[in-house]
Amino acid sequence: MNEQTHLSLHGLAVKNHATAHAVAALLGLDAVIVAEHLTAAVQSGRCVEMGDRYLLTPAGRMIVEANYSRYFASARADQSFNAAHGRFEIINDELKQLITDWQTIKVGGTPLANDHSDGAYDEKIVARLARLHDKTLPILAAFAIVLPRFAHYMTKLQAALTRVEDGESAWLSEVAIASYHSVWFELHEDLLRVLGRTRTQ
Amino acid sequence: MAITLGRYLVALDGSALPSRELIGGKAWSVARMLSLGLPVPPAVVITTDACRVYLDTGCVPDTLAVEIDSAIAWLEQATTRQFGGAQPLLVSVRSGAAVSMPGMMDTVLNLGINDVTEAALAAEANNPAFACDTHRRFLELYASIVLKATLVDTSNAEPTAMRAEIAAQGAAVPVEPRAQLLAAVNAVFDSWNSRRARRYRQHHGIADSLGTAVTVQAMVFGNLDALSGTGVLFSRNPLTGERAPYGEYLHRAQGEDVVSGKFTPEPLSVLAASAPAIHSQLLAAAATLEQENADVQDIEFTVQHGALYLLQTRAAKRAPQAAVRFAVDMVEEGRIDTNTALSRVQAEQIRTLLKPRLAAGATDGATVLAQGEPACQGVGSGVVVNDSDSAEQRAAAGEAVVLARATTSPEDVHGMIAAHAVITEQGGATSHAAVVSRALGVPCIVGCGAGTLAALAGARVTVDANSGHIYAGLLAVVTPDELDDPGLAKLTSWAVAASPITVVRDNDPAAAAAFDLGEVEGGEDPARLPALLIGKTCVRGGAIESDAGVAAALVAGVTTIVARHPLPVLLAAIHGQFGR
Repeated sequence: MNEQTHLSLHGLAVKNHATAHAVAALLGLDAVIVAEHLTAAVQSGRCVEMGDRYLLTPAGRMIVEANYSRYFASARADQSFNAAHGRFEIINDELKQLITDWQTIKVGGTPLANDHSDGAYDEKIVARLARLHDKTLPILAAFAIVLPRFAHYMTKLQAALTRVEDGESAWLSEVAIASYHSVWFELHEDLLRVLGRTRTQ
Repeated sequence: MAITLGRYLVALDGSALPSRELIGGKAWSVARMLSLGLPVPPAVVITTDACRVYLDTGCVPDTLAVEIDSAIAWLEQATTRQFGGAQPLLVSVRSGAAVSMPGMMDTVLNLGINDVTEAALAAEANNPAFACDTHRRFLELYASIVLKATLVDTSNAEPTAMRAEIAAQGAAVPVEPRAQLLAAVNAVFDSWNSRRARRYRQHHGIADSLGTAVTVQAMVFGNLDALSGTGVLFSRNPLTGERAPYGEYLHRAQGEDVVSGKFTPEPLSVLAASAPAIHSQLLAAAATLEQENADVQDIEFTVQHGALYLLQTRAAKRAPQAAVRFAVDMVEEGRIDTNTALSRVQAEQIRTLLKPRLAAGATDGATVLAQGEPACQGVGSGVVVNDSDSAEQRAAAGEAVVLARATTSPEDVHGMIAAHAVITEQGGATSHAAVVSRALGVPCIVGCGAGTLAALAGARVTVDANSGHIYAGLLAVVTPDELDDPGLAKLTSWAVAASPITVVRDNDPAAAAAFDLGEVEGGEDPARLPALLIGKTCVRGGAIESDAGVAAALVAGVTTIVARHPLPVLLAAIHGQFGR
């Protein structure tokens, strides 16, 4: 499997059940080219097409994973990339806590679903997100030195943050859109796969 | 108004209420408590006039430093303590505009401490650890808030070492209390023009010339001695709505200790037993504040050496059940009218109350297969499926599935969307599964333990994400009805009278004629409703019952909505018509 095909299938492994367009958007590649790779992979039994979405077959999944050490060798060997990953994991915990604080609110010590009726509470979390974003950018820049496509995540996170700051709060954690949380978790999954690590929770 | 200490300084003494525009919302709230005769730590305010000079010229007014000196003298007299002296006066410094705004400077606490005043405080309290901790807390806040410096773990750091670490990053923390204060005031004024604050004002059409005030308030110490402590009091129970005070008290502690969760507070009854006079003074204050504000209050207080101080009061956050009871009770007590009551209950809170739940006695004799931490409340049942692809396929074929995973990652999201409940072996309340299930509103239990769920594949289970239990079998589930609950029925009758549109139940004869959004392409997407609703007067299904759907119906001129539960729709219509 060549590097370009592998990258397309890696993108599909991160997104799963995704259109060629969505995989291309994740990787920052041209959708037409990604579609060609995915169509070819359907021919060779590495993924299946369901409507306009693609899904890796068990064999396809194995091949993608078996080739990680080969195509991501430079990132895995790079000290600064690994150090940046260490910093990312610390901020990742902060981000998960922040999203949890956004979704739940403590009333008399008991966590309840946040009904977003307290604007001041929500605004504080948005301000926290902006500070966290500022800490995240240099980490992504460090990833991008080794894997330039990671710069793409900066653009997407910035776009989500801008919408949140302008009052479109769905862009913080909604699942069906490229919200801050959606982009972040794809970034995290991408990173874990690049480095061959396993998610602990 | 209050006591004028100069062109730009006001001391709050409760004598009259200065305007919000001049002193900011937080100081206004302090002044109001004082005017009600309640005990509040003495405070002075540098007004928004001073900020406007700073914004216009880049410098604080010439006379400000002198005025601040006289304000400190006033605080010293009111507290019988001295700024930088033998019985040290420490102050908090906080920003405050007429409207609350993100991006403004956070509060700096314990300002006025240095090695000399730390020693004085240690001697006074006969507690060097407390004095050192106070110094540490000051340095930490001042460094991060005023100087934007980052300190590594400070839990056991020596103040001297902390000061050196901060200075190594650029600016040092001033030693002199007066210099600390002047720098903090400048930092508040600077924060008016932070990126976030400017953006917020631009977005909300708030004038840049409004400016912020600076409140300087005497610190009181809940960790001073055995006769001290800190706590939170709700004038009624914010979880159940019960008409009884509810609170927590932490002996010998500061407010941030309660918030941090590092310590476990005790119920308020402990304070009632140990200091009955303070307890009854506190309850009287809560009653006064609730009466004055005509809403349930959440009050932060501190007891310092046997004297009660109120730090802050605000409308209490409340659980859905409490929101309903507060609203109904306060109308019955003649404190608010029915429109105010309706404005205090969100449609989403009612939807939460009307979610399906286990029938009474349903769990009697049921086997608990696994248990974990509830991450998103609700009840869901179905057959357990271990991977997301089959979960989606089986759900698409009409089966009710419960997705069980060791952990979840982005590739599981489609399976989570298809599932009636999600359960995981690993992870806590902030895990990916927890975060995504809450975003989706899917009942979820996390952290059931390694190896507990894999064997459940194929079994039919009921997931009670309210209690955190996974039961064998499909247990009886009931959907509550708002007419069976006296409080909800009363709210419904008020809502019917106030609503701009008619909402009928799905068994009403009128329902037959309704245009069903559930049967048209795009009817589930609120964004497409404006186009789909053109010319329609009676509508049901699809996205019509969501807040956005109701708002679109109002704009489109719909007169009747058919819904299984009318109350949330009525509330969304009432709130929507005022552009909330």
